[in-house]
Amino acid sequence: MTTTSRALAPGQVRTAEGVLGEWGALLAVARKEWLYVRRYPSWVISLLIWPVIFPLAYILSARALSGPDQSGLALFIARTGISDYLGFIAIGTTVWMWQNVVLWGVGFALRNEQWRGTLETNWMAPTWRFTFLLGPSLVHLAQMLIFMLVSAIEFGVFFGVRFNGNPLLVILLIAVSAPSVYGLGIAFASVVVWLKEAHNFVQMVRGLVMIFCGISFPIALLPGWMQEVAVFLPQTYMMRAIRSAALANATLSDLMPDIIALLGFGAFFLAAGYILFQWTERRARRAGAIGQY
Amino acid sequence: MSEWAIEAENLVKKFPRKADSAENGSNGAQSGAGKKFWPFGKKKEMTYFTAVDGVNLQIRQGEIFGLLGPNGAGKSTTIRMLCTLLEPTSGTARVNGFDILKEPTQVRQSLGTVLAGERSIYWKLTARENLEYFAALYHIPPAVAKKRAQELLERFELAARADDLVEKFSTGMRQRVAISKALVANPPILLLDEPTLGLDPQAARKVRELIAELKAAGHTILLTTHYMEEADQLSDRIGIIDQGKIIALDTPARLKERIGQKDVIRLEIAGWHEDLSRRLQEVGGVENLVSRRLEGEAMAEVTLHAENSRAVLPGILDRVNYNGTRLVNMNIVRPSLEDVFISLTGKALRD
Repeated sequence: MTTTSRALAPGQVRTAEGVLGEWGALLAVARKEWLYVRRYPSWVISLLIWPVIFPLAYILSARALSGPDQSGLALFIARTGISDYLGFIAIGTTVWMWQNVVLWGVGFALRNEQWRGTLETNWMAPTWRFTFLLGPSLVHLAQMLIFMLVSAIEFGVFFGVRFNGNPLLVILLIAVSAPSVYGLGIAFASVVVWLKEAHNFVQMVRGLVMIFCGISFPIALLPGWMQEVAVFLPQTYMMRAIRSAALANATLSDLMPDIIALLGFGAFFLAAGYILFQWTERRARRAGAIGQY
Repeated sequence: MSEWAIEAENLVKKFPRKADSAENGSNGAQSGAGKKFWPFGKKKEMTYFTAVDGVNLQIRQGEIFGLLGPNGAGKSTTIRMLCTLLEPTSGTARVNGFDILKEPTQVRQSLGTVLAGERSIYWKLTARENLEYFAALYHIPPAVAKKRAQELLERFELAARADDLVEKFSTGMRQRVAISKALVANPPILLLDEPTLGLDPQAARKVRELIAELKAAGHTILLTTHYMEEADQLSDRIGIIDQGKIIALDTPARLKERIGQKDVIRLEIAGWHEDLSRRLQEVGGVENLVSRRLEGEAMAEVTLHAENSRAVLPGILDRVNYNGTRLVNMNIVRPSLEDVFISLTGKALRD
């Protein structure tokens, strides 16, 4: 295509080719998502309330069960090596919340476009179609980083949690966890375009993470077969590594096995998400289901 | 470069459906038996609904080609296959020289499409944000996109409201944003699917003027519509589609010449009842009678064709002015595309 004419004839338009053009498309999708987030500002209320409300039930249960003199905590410390059970619960619930919100947010990104009536319009553009999932994932990750920061502040203010570990290590762990969290979200998004709903799947994954990964208790308490299931869930590694980094002063070398596992899970879930996306997209194109409600 | 902007070769689209829904009937073309389907327990016959049935099209560069047919005739399905949203069951098409199956990205780069319905743009974005967003999807650099968006906003008389959210726009303004969006990458070919559907007459006229301007600017336009006047007014050539098949294809004038030897009689009858339709068709020389209810149950507009209107009118008047029914209005009119459609299918476009 030409790049010089001032008054362009049909078919003549200045375009950025290849990776640069696709990068511009990705930024545009992310910007559009961000504009939608800004124009529906009620999420800010959730951002402030949920970090306090959600872990409260677990925290109060833990307080009640640890006894008036909190003597029951000794067993907990012996099992986990972490003395701050409030921080332990707060990190568990935050990781759970992260995956939960990704399933609803990224998992329903394409479905939301179907509801708006705009999915077909996007699909008719020469953009790499996976970009329409990567863009919302970027915005969502930014939102979740804000959510985690607000959570950390509120845990300190309301529950007296003190994160005494290396914050850079925590950030690194969030970064290596993101591919598996968002890979699962992208896989969900593909299923949702195909099946039109995935509420039951979301409930199932939330339940798995809640019970098997130990959001409020050490998984050593689980029966043996449940611990074996936990080994196959990346959230188990996320919770363990972030708790160790934030509350038990773990070093990078201590965390390396979990980091490698998380990168492995990330590669698997992103690849699975991409393959599932390609498969369901083709299926929807054959069935004429791309624009259907 | 090929003379043809769009070439479709024996394009077929079949949708599978369960036997139950097939038996209930639909506005589709036909259904055929297929393989077994397993609906949780007992096996049912899978049938296929043929939405597009062997469409062949050759659209010249720079022409407006109208695809005219009633709802459910296969117009939108054809458009969706051409713009790569839908995979054909068999056959293929070339758009701007690119194969829709083998080179879908190049096809999408060559096309600007406006699908039916007003929700194809983002209502929570402004008109300008919409255009800049879609420009980026076509890999247009931001600085060029900003300039292009401004040009389009001015050209489509949207500049004054460019930074308002689209949700505050009228339906006609939204349609102009949607057409601007289709033009943002300056594609050589435009697919416009029912572009005036749901618009008030003034907004529809404005859109039709824009379409004529786009042709003058050199764009090839494939226009689908079920408004015969629109197809007649805008199209260089028209393909009439019914039940997934192109049943006639020519210039509007030549299509109308096909029935030019016949008189078209249009009657408005008060006290209409369906039995009168049968009685009128019994009059010798009456052909292709179709009726449409007007203003409630008791009024109908009846169109019929005859070799010689003078010969059939006495018989018609005898039957109309009888037993409580009466003639309110009568015209002998020039054949329209609707009459062409009636003569080809025996039914009205609006059925």
